[in-house]
Amino acid sequence: MKIKKDEVGWLLLFIAPTLILFALFFILPILFLLASSFTNWDGIDAEFVGFENYIKLFNKKSFIRAITNNLYWCITAAIITVPLALIIALLLSHRSRGWKVFRTVLFVPQVVSSAAIAMLWAAVFNAEYGLLNFILDNIGLSDYKNHNWLGNVRTANAALIGFSLCYVGYFMVIMLAKTASISEDYYDAANIDGASQIQKDLYITAPIIKSTFFLCVILAVIFNLRQFEYVYLMTAGGPANKTQVLVVYIWNELTVQRLGRGSAAGVIMIALGAMLLLLLRRLLKSETYN
Amino acid sequence: MTKDNSLNFYSIFKWVIIISFVVYAVFPFLWLVLASLKTNAELLDNPFKLPKVFQFQNYSNAIQEAGLIQLIINSLVISTCATFLNILFASMCAFAIARHIFWWKNVLFLMITAGILVPLNALIIPYYAIINFLNLYDTRLGLILVYCAVGLPVSTFILTEFFKGIPKEIEEASYLDGCNFVARYFRIMLPLALPGLATAGTFQFILCWNEFIYAMLLTSSTEIRTIQFGISYFTNEFFSDYVGMFAAVVVSILPSITVFVLFQERVITGLTAGSVKG
Repeated sequence: MKIKKDEVGWLLLFIAPTLILFALFFILPILFLLASSFTNWDGIDAEFVGFENYIKLFNKKSFIRAITNNLYWCITAAIITVPLALIIALLLSHRSRGWKVFRTVLFVPQVVSSAAIAMLWAAVFNAEYGLLNFILDNIGLSDYKNHNWLGNVRTANAALIGFSLCYVGYFMVIMLAKTASISEDYYDAANIDGASQIQKDLYITAPIIKSTFFLCVILAVIFNLRQFEYVYLMTAGGPANKTQVLVVYIWNELTVQRLGRGSAAGVIMIALGAMLLLLLRRLLKSETYN
Repeated sequence: MTKDNSLNFYSIFKWVIIISFVVYAVFPFLWLVLASLKTNAELLDNPFKLPKVFQFQNYSNAIQEAGLIQLIINSLVISTCATFLNILFASMCAFAIARHIFWWKNVLFLMITAGILVPLNALIIPYYAIINFLNLYDTRLGLILVYCAVGLPVSTFILTEFFKGIPKEIEEASYLDGCNFVARYFRIMLPLALPGLATAGTFQFILCWNEFIYAMLLTSSTEIRTIQFGISYFTNEFFSDYVGMFAAVVVSILPSITVFVLFQERVITGLTAGSVKG
């Protein structure tokens, strides 16, 4: 609808709250982060120090470790979680009996808070009473009796990333919704031609949900770049910084009031996110033209 | 014949995969609920054995000692207010963008929805500084504002898409009948957009209820602490009272699962709205 002259004021008034909050909590913080990353701000004083924060960060082993760990989270989610979700979405897409129940059950962990999931899995991995060690012990792998999964340098990262990989519900629901929008006519035609279920999945469903699959890959990367609760609550980045990720790193800088350094880490995190998004767009675009 | 065999193989494969993921999704939760009804001594025993007596007092202990009721009330108040404000603001903005023509509306829409892609956890230091500057540190209002703001891109996106789908004729008719801008929003669009509001609202509520890092960042006193941050204290407070911790985790999980089960279809439509665009 075209705007009448006397309604322009109302229009601006309707946009204003969202715009003000957006400016205050999205635009301003990013500018603020950028500015303070070039200072030695400690909560009271701030002096311009140029690129010192960045140079110090890139010389820190624990920071490099945080970046590589974040990349592990992103890459494993993109190449394991999302394809698994696709497989399950394809299996459920044939509307076999009870598919709605399965969809609900698989999605439930996604509405439970990360804090609760972290505490649940910390208990599963617990050395004394944990579920995992009990099961391993009972199937004959008694080497793992009393193994401290999250406290051990070798297994901490694998345990953390490993358990989160198998929560596929979110991406599965997105892809399942897309399969529901595919016209039945395609499948009817394929049935007449005598196509098997696997052929129908491969040649009809897969090409159509390709773009949704790529969307899920992008979402998986963003979600895992933000990773905080699992690491903070289950290992706090330890043992020996083995499981450190960027947000936990920033949090630690914040708690010791090295706000300038923490801001620089934040800028690097946002830049990393932007780079990953551009890279994915590139990769996925060339893929769609093939 | 060969076709039948492949079909059998396919359905075996299918059920093995689906069932194993269902077990993965459900089993740890069942174990948690079972463990929360045991004594600490029984916990160290066989995890699958039912407890001799169901220890329901674990729950009453957790509720009393950790002040779970207060935590839940805090979370409810903060999440409800933040959801209400978020949906009000987002729907006003979405109404302006989706139903009117002005030259900068696409720029505005793109800018706000681009906020979905910003890894917000990188901004904890500026958030801390801004909330302190506004003198809102350790207040409910501070958390409400932050929760309202961080959910705006998603809500505005969902609601704009929803408003666009409502037929123009109804609004035009009311316009000719003399409805002004505000009346068109409140009396025509909002009632028609109720399913969309429910979708965005469910998303926003679950986001607020489950939020952890800002609650830890922006509050310090126990009187306004939210449940997610509250339960993370349990490991320290209870020392080795694991069953108490489990009971508290179970209590913290229940509300978001209840909201989800009630508004399931809405959550799933919301995810669909996002994917259709993608």
